Amino acid sequence: MYYFDWPLFWKYLWPATALADPLIRNGLLVTIVVSVVAQAMGVILGLFAALGKMSRLPPLRWISDAYIWYFRGTPLLVQMALLFFGLGVTHIYDFPDIHFGILSISGAIQAGTMALGINEGAYMAEIVRAGIEAIDVGQMEAAKSLGMSYAMAMRRIVLPQALKVIIPPLGNEFNNMMKTTSIMQVISAGELFYAYTQINARVFKPFELFIAASLYYLALTTIWSYIQSRIESGLGERKSTIKTVGMFERLFAKGGH
Amino acid sequence: MTSLVAPRHDVGSNVVVKFIHVNKYFADLHVLQDVNLEVHKNEVVVLIGPSGSGKSTLLRSINHLETINSGYIYVYGRMIGYYEKHGKLHEESEKNIARQRAEIGMVFQRFNLFPHLTALENIIEAPVNVRKTPRDQAVADGERLLERVGLSDKRDQYPRQLSGGQQQRVAIARALAMKPGLMLFDEPTSALDPEMIGEVLDVMKELAGEMTMLVVSHEMGFARAVADRILFMDEGKIIEDTTPEELFINPKEERTKAFLSKILH
Repeated sequence: MYYFDWPLFWKYLWPATALADPLIRNGLLVTIVVSVVAQAMGVILGLFAALGKMSRLPPLRWISDAYIWYFRGTPLLVQMALLFFGLGVTHIYDFPDIHFGILSISGAIQAGTMALGINEGAYMAEIVRAGIEAIDVGQMEAAKSLGMSYAMAMRRIVLPQALKVIIPPLGNEFNNMMKTTSIMQVISAGELFYAYTQINARVFKPFELFIAASLYYLALTTIWSYIQSRIESGLGERKSTIKTVGMFERLFAKGGH
Repeated sequence: MTSLVAPRHDVGSNVVVKFIHVNKYFADLHVLQDVNLEVHKNEVVVLIGPSGSGKSTLLRSINHLETINSGYIYVYGRMIGYYEKHGKLHEESEKNIARQRAEIGMVFQRFNLFPHLTALENIIEAPVNVRKTPRDQAVADGERLLERVGLSDKRDQYPRQLSGGQQQRVAIARALAMKPGLMLFDEPTSALDPEMIGEVLDVMKELAGEMTMLVVSHEMGFARAVADRILFMDEGKIIEDTTPEELFINPKEERTKAFLSKILH
């Protein structure tokens, strides 16, 4: 019969006591910040990859296709290990710690964030492309007929409309991103799951500790689902064609990631 | 493109649009067959013909929304979409094509207003961003244009809040905001409910005489009232090029007669 260590469980679940531990406090912060930065990288890379994929110039299409093919077709964990250990051992880039005053960003966090962002870009590319292709071709034609260049028409006419199509799946991607940051644990980046594994290394209570860790991720994704449904209902008010999904429908829906 | 030297178009004459032996294919389909055409300054030319006859393609090739496979198209004496170098034609740079399009207004069947912008914002978008007109001036011009199409009260409405007829009038104002000397209308009333056709045609009638207009339309009342010429197209060719009176009273070709009997009940 396993003895469940309730006091330890509560200590590492209850925010007041759990966040008193600097490992967990920093871990939570790293998870949130890395998620946001990696997702932003993913959106930017995805935008360029999507535009490249739709380009008239074959080399741009080839580069985009190869990027999407590789990063969607290989495991993120392998990509991350390749980036961190691979670039380190070849001295292409050693991932030294970066210091901003009191803030220091470890090489592992840099490598992890980059791997997450580059990987995410390959998925975002398809989302952005679908968003652009959802916009009637007449919009581009009208913009061109007024003397706009392709780039100006894209920036001022097509993308602002595509954004409304892109935002719902983008929110889902971010939800997924927050969970996926946990694989940075394997390169010892100090995110939330790494913090719990460090504590576990000291006390060896994996059952209690990892339930607590999982509930922190659940809290993050639940809070985000709430924010997301608010954003989307705001969009829905302005543009009636977007079907908004309520928070509970989102949380308990079948399928998805 | 052919490698022939482009015939020089006589600059200084009043020819606004000129087609010389223009051909276009969609895969195996020969949609424009050796089209020759001259449209003069301030002329109103209406193109009619059965669907698939190439009239929209002809219109869209004038501002290079459609490329052509051979021949030459000139607007104001300048070749559209291509330039000539060492006796060969090359497609113009995007920047130059955009500059040429800025001088040519276009109105589409499905309006194609920008749904994320208000009526006024739709109108000032190109003057402000393409022409770099100061915003205040663009707004003043835009308001005058809205007044002209009878929609001053719709200034801050979004396209989805407007009826089809109102949307098309805003679309006309948007095209006019670039002060084009040439306007292309691609079936401007075909997507409208019957009761809204009149308000759009009225705006177009107002413009007749002020600028050169090419209109793809089956509105025979409009053609009779304002067209200087009617072109009847079939199977990628201009079959008849005549005045409205001639066409209605005395069509020469059997195909024209057959088509007219279908649209004039």
